[in-house]
Amino acid sequence: MPKTLDNSYEELVEKAQEIFWLKGYKGVSVKGLSNHLNVSQSVIYNKYTKDLLFLASLDYYTSTYSDPFLKNLRESEHGIESLRLFFYAVIEALLDKTFPKSCLMVNTVVELRDENQDVVRRYDDYLEALKMSYIVVLEKAYDLGQIIHKQRIERYADFILGIIFSLSVLYKIKPMDDLKKFVDGQLAFLK
Amino acid sequence: MRYKEYNPNRVLEQSVRLFWKKGFNGCSVNDIVEVTGVNRFSLYHEFENKEGILYRSILLYRERYCNDNLEILNEKGDLESILTKFYLAFLEKEDLVPGCYFIHIGTELADTDERVKQAVDQYLGEIEDLMGNLLLAHDFEKADAQYLAGHLTALYCTVMSFCLVHNREERLDYISNGIKVILHSYA
Repeated sequence: MPKTLDNSYEELVEKAQEIFWLKGYKGVSVKGLSNHLNVSQSVIYNKYTKDLLFLASLDYYTSTYSDPFLKNLRESEHGIESLRLFFYAVIEALLDKTFPKSCLMVNTVVELRDENQDVVRRYDDYLEALKMSYIVVLEKAYDLGQIIHKQRIERYADFILGIIFSLSVLYKIKPMDDLKKFVDGQLAFLK
Repeated sequence: MRYKEYNPNRVLEQSVRLFWKKGFNGCSVNDIVEVTGVNRFSLYHEFENKEGILYRSILLYRERYCNDNLEILNEKGDLESILTKFYLAFLEKEDLVPGCYFIHIGTELADTDERVKQAVDQYLGEIEDLMGNLLLAHDFEKADAQYLAGHLTALYCTVMSFCLVHNREERLDYISNGIKVILHSYA
């Protein structure tokens, strides 16, 4: 039965993204993808391709999970406290498996590095958006008097860009309290 | 009696590279057979299963590739230079994938495999202890040394993931900024 005709492309991407997030790009075979999406392998080879579904999955991830999260962060009012709540929310999403496995972009950086330029462009954009959002919040923190050194704001944004990377490993081996203390510590370095 | 016609450490060495390149879940026992030239029966006899190869490959990596790098933390000299040299040593190791096998495998498996989790946790604990001693040797108070060592170890986790996609200049900049923020040493 030609099930592909019943699925919209968006639905396929949404499902593909689930399995890529869980298993990584290399951990998903065309066979595994075909089973998960319930379409034949030849359709994946000829019509969608694993690579295009993966790229579309990264876009889906950004627009569904990351963009709304960052928009809220940029609109927040409380500087360092807003950052704290943001990172706490990330920790909770990781531990309660709302994020099934770290951040998909972080996983992708670790797994694929610079093997594919289309992938590189996507995580570069993602990291840039993240950094810009941090800068907006740090400027608020300066206005609130939480940070004294205005000229260091960009350097601080670079520094806390690392937090989602370290959390992506640490959440797998440390309890929640340790992770929150870690975030508190990182933010306390920003003077 | 049959003699082993292959060297298990050689199999492990090749497996480190294979798992690192393709991910543990991304390769099959067949791939290992193909790369090592050792048949499935012999592999199972020595290592029991694919997980057995993984656990022993982590031990081999620790013994063969980490000792020299960890030793850097015992060196004398300028604190920031020692730390920078330590982080960079993992990224610029010749003849091996840049980064840290513990972090790579941990990112993939530490949430689903208890033994991997323990191995990564123990390894990071080792680094944290060495960092703590390094800071003590540079006249930090004991409580500060422990606290900052934890953050320098987290910086290790970040460097071994984030900095994989950096060029040398970006890496140096990221590492140096991280150290300065943590040690409050911005002038």
